[in-house]
Amino acid sequence: MIFKKAIPRRTFIRGVGVTLALPLLDGMIPAFAAPEKPVKRFSIVYVPNGRIMERWTPEKEGTDFELPLLLQPFAPFRDRLLVVTGLSLSVARHAPGEEVGVHERPCGAYLTGVHPKWTDGADIRNGISLDQIVAKEFGKHTQLASLEIGLDSAGILGACEKGWSCAYVNTLCWRSPTTPIPMENNPRTVFERLFGDIGSTDPAERRAIQRRNNSILDSLSEATGDLIRELGPSDRARISEYLDSIRDIERRIQIAEQQGSRDLPSLARPYGVPTTFQEHAKLMYDLQVVAFQADLTRMITFMVGREKTDRPYPEIGIPDAHHPLTHHAGDPQKIEKVVRIEALQARMFAYYLEKLRSTPDGDGSLLDHMVINYGCGISEGNGHSVVNLPLLLFGGASYFKGGRHVRYPKDPPLSNLHLTLLDKLGIPVENFGNSTGKLEL
Amino acid sequence: MLRRILVCAGMVLAAYPPAAIPQSASTSRAFLDTYCVTCHNQKAATAGLALDKMDLEKVGEDRAVWEKVVHKLRTRAMPPPGRSRPDAPSYNLLITRLETELDRAAAAKPDPGRTAVHRLNRAEYANAIRDLLAIDIDSESLLPVDEVNHGFDNIGDALSVTPVLMERYMSAARKIGRMAVGQPEIGPFSETYEIPRFLTQDDRMSDDLPFGSRGGIAIRHDFPADAEYTIRVFLQRNSRDYIRGLAEPHQLDFRLDGERIKLLTVGGGPELKGEPGPTFSQAGKIGDRASETYEHGGAEQPLEVRFRAKSGQRLVAVTFLSKNAIAEGVFQPPLTQFQLVQYKGGNPYIDNLVITGPYDVTGVADTPARQKIFVCRPTRTADEEPCAGKILSTLARRAYRRPVTDKDVRTLLRIYEAGRSEGDFEAGVQAALERILAGPEFLFRIERDPAGVPPGTAYRISDLELASRLSFFLWSSIPDDQLLDLAESGKLKDPAIFEQQVRRMLGHPRSRSLVTNFASQWLYLRNLGSKTPDPKLFPEFDENLRQAFQQETELFLESTLREDQSVLRLLDANYTFLNERLAHHYGIPDIYGSHFRRVTLRPEFDARRGLLGQGSLLTVTSYANRTSVVLRGKWLLENLLGAPPPPPPPNVPSLEESGTDGKPLPLRQLMENHRKNPGCASCHATIDPLGFALENFDAVGRWRSADAGTPVDSSGVLPDGTQFEGPLGIRNVLLSRPEEFAAVFAERMLVYALGRGTEYYDYPAIRTIVRDAAREEFRWSSLILATARSMPFQMRRSEQ
Repeated sequence: MIFKKAIPRRTFIRGVGVTLALPLLDGMIPAFAAPEKPVKRFSIVYVPNGRIMERWTPEKEGTDFELPLLLQPFAPFRDRLLVVTGLSLSVARHAPGEEVGVHERPCGAYLTGVHPKWTDGADIRNGISLDQIVAKEFGKHTQLASLEIGLDSAGILGACEKGWSCAYVNTLCWRSPTTPIPMENNPRTVFERLFGDIGSTDPAERRAIQRRNNSILDSLSEATGDLIRELGPSDRARISEYLDSIRDIERRIQIAEQQGSRDLPSLARPYGVPTTFQEHAKLMYDLQVVAFQADLTRMITFMVGREKTDRPYPEIGIPDAHHPLTHHAGDPQKIEKVVRIEALQARMFAYYLEKLRSTPDGDGSLLDHMVINYGCGISEGNGHSVVNLPLLLFGGASYFKGGRHVRYPKDPPLSNLHLTLLDKLGIPVENFGNSTGKLEL
Repeated sequence: MLRRILVCAGMVLAAYPPAAIPQSASTSRAFLDTYCVTCHNQKAATAGLALDKMDLEKVGEDRAVWEKVVHKLRTRAMPPPGRSRPDAPSYNLLITRLETELDRAAAAKPDPGRTAVHRLNRAEYANAIRDLLAIDIDSESLLPVDEVNHGFDNIGDALSVTPVLMERYMSAARKIGRMAVGQPEIGPFSETYEIPRFLTQDDRMSDDLPFGSRGGIAIRHDFPADAEYTIRVFLQRNSRDYIRGLAEPHQLDFRLDGERIKLLTVGGGPELKGEPGPTFSQAGKIGDRASETYEHGGAEQPLEVRFRAKSGQRLVAVTFLSKNAIAEGVFQPPLTQFQLVQYKGGNPYIDNLVITGPYDVTGVADTPARQKIFVCRPTRTADEEPCAGKILSTLARRAYRRPVTDKDVRTLLRIYEAGRSEGDFEAGVQAALERILAGPEFLFRIERDPAGVPPGTAYRISDLELASRLSFFLWSSIPDDQLLDLAESGKLKDPAIFEQQVRRMLGHPRSRSLVTNFASQWLYLRNLGSKTPDPKLFPEFDENLRQAFQQETELFLESTLREDQSVLRLLDANYTFLNERLAHHYGIPDIYGSHFRRVTLRPEFDARRGLLGQGSLLTVTSYANRTSVVLRGKWLLENLLGAPPPPPPPNVPSLEESGTDGKPLPLRQLMENHRKNPGCASCHATIDPLGFALENFDAVGRWRSADAGTPVDSSGVLPDGTQFEGPLGIRNVLLSRPEEFAAVFAERMLVYALGRGTEYYDYPAIRTIVRDAAREEFRWSSLILATARSMPFQMRRSEQ
């Protein structure tokens, strides 16, 4: 019995009876885009297991609010920040007869606004997630319609909580109600999906590969043309398909070359998965920035951890698993540890914001031309509360006025925010998830 | 008594001599008028067939229709159950007459059909790379899955080319080119090897692991250069992220090509002396700081080994030394999947390995791939181009499956020059190799109509085209040099040489593809991977059992192939292949150890004989939570009897699980309830009895005498009145009609060999194959040789 190499995550999920449509684009032909007008981009960053809300929610509303501990790393970006308080994920409450699933439901519902089906079998069911609706539109302009990445490996599969499939905590993104999209956690794989099988983003190396591709493609076209002339009509069809495919690749290379090249930061292809959380997170944030910068995609969803993750943080002196700590039952020592974990995650996210702000894009920076949502489907981890969710928006002035804390009364559903964002992103729809209307941002 | 009747019937069928005096047209007409025309007449035109109108003197002019009639008669599908039916001799006389006429018409105007340009499928691509460059690639990660048609993934018309696939070909060509030529300047990178989570690691896992080992993994890893590498081991964790099995120390053994390079100890650390976390997860409860650190990763940190390796593909094995707390062979009830993910105890398992490198590269050794490529090495610059030409001609001839033209070489040398100018000699060769692997000459099997052949006529394909057909049929790969040489010199046409080559290729290890590609698709074995028996009902079903099922059937099929047995033995061979796990599952005693060995089945396990007793097929033909007589009946009809049932009508309601009083009913009774409906019965009278014969095997292939509390009743009656009982009965039914089984086998094999579905004009060739093979008791070699000699395999129809 010889085991195959690195069976991809997708195969694991297939074992639960779900077939995935693999995004097969190789990213071999990058588009070095210098877009003429500011494009729209959406970045979702999910932090798991809830937040210690009393260190998160500012006391005052409006423009004159103080930054609590967990928001302090975002001080340099205050003018871009909108703190959204009061939204709820009531659709994730347990339905009559259901048991447990207190992590599966909020995670499954976070981007779908749908109550996921209680099952651990092959009949998992959710809704189409927000990012995929955006991807369908934005993907018309980019190499990759979207990117789904995370720091935790797919890990436990099959049953997670009693009767609930692990698919619901392993991903936020659902291409269809029955198709979860796996989160890629290997930075090397992400790099290769963006840039192809190459050692770095170095322009000389890119050009060398392009020259090689061009000379091979020329040779293939020529040989195929000759072949077609020799064959009879019924045989030509298949070779024509082949020739059309070659022409398609040549055309995309031409477009990429015409769009001109930009100086990308030099990023070597990562060797694999880094051992520490900080290295791994930093690398994944770097890749997201470069992906936006090169306009390879305009929709990225990133899970800092899967929901209910048990990742310990030994680098900051916390060997305990994250999830059990969040069930602190008021123990100040446990709370302090959770706060430290959340603060570390916030600092890493601030690193991302800083890179976005300092990367030029059109007449401004990347940060000016995008919306970022940082948040979680659970507020108080101790009680798995799904009201008053921790949600932050960062982004350009064209999307909303920053520097404010807005508290929305009457527990509007999270889907209302999503409906509003879709509108801001130029993809207006009638309703989404369990939305009841748009929000005033 | 019953058996004798069946045997007699079988003998009548098997013994019908082709040279028998066919019945006269008027007798045939009488048959049709008595049994068929009531429905199949011009007015009623049931199924669009009007037999009253058709002329029995001119069978050859309406071959498509008459072939269908013959098929229905042979499978006894017509007249349908409930109608008056003729006796077996009458059936046979009519069949003989029709077939004689059809064969005569076919001989006068043979139609070999026509496959258009045929793309290599994923398996063929991987095998071609293996044979061309001595490299094993993971084709499933490089290329997308192929479209399936007519039950196989090598059907020319279905294998399309899309821009996405083209990109994959170019990307694969680059990766393979690099791997083959070897790259001294690449930076270090990681490769991860994962073990499926539900694979129990309590025993020796494979023959590549040492005796006395437990769990772990052995893989063939490609080391890109002579350098240093590291292996990091990650252990399996439970759902609370605790590493499992750390309570006691275990020894972890690292080996390279069978030699130990390190022995590390894991588990049982002093950190656990305090208060470790709970063995079964409990919300909120955690251990003390030291054990938490240890069990959440500390124990795993030191599991890294750095070692030096030469380039090439090498066997890397990481496994535990066996130290079972429980006696071997004593079967412990396994935990359900849900319990297992909460459990922190038991033995430690490996979750994945990460091999990183190369560090400190000292060179690139001569791997088998480099030896295949570099048939010469230039000593001075002036030698470079001639040597490149020689290298590329040699590769291209094998890759293109034909002699190489000047134009081919010029094309490749242009790419070589471009690569040479950016790097060195080897970079140039690598670039040209990429061009070969992405080119149409390699990716497509192209057959050309010779000049001067009138349109729509049959012609003999060339020797080179025949060589390709043969090697893709028998090996799913490119021809080897011996076959190519013979084809090039025009000797393959010689019947003696042709037969010798077929037999040689059949005896070659590469013919294993007939098991892994042909038989596994014919018998739906490939579906085994996606079956998920309900863990609540079948808690003992794990990956080990699934893999054991697969191994058993593959070893069994291969043994019949290698020993050139009759294919009828697939139905009733008195042996199979078992390991301890599988034997235990089947209730067969006295089999110990994890390796597979041939076991003769004792008389009390008679029901297990042949394919129908094997867990793989019994699981493939079941649902996750119960058996299905319909799935099994359908499988038998399609794959062994050649009489596939029509699809069900729309809006068929699902099966009631219990009777009107709410008590669970045995399956037979549930099906009876449905068969009372005449609309359903028309098909299910044929399907269900076959499935019922196997009802003693549950949804994961275990023997049972009762289902839902009621004893299993595995008796059945076929539409023609034949009664049978259980697996033995169904086997005898199948064996009583060896010609039918052989014809099904031959038809499936012909589809696979030609890469197209069969049409009415192929059936005379199939009958010839069956007749020829009958002379040698339907041995594998007789069927394969007859297929390779058949008219559609040796010829092609020119463009219309």
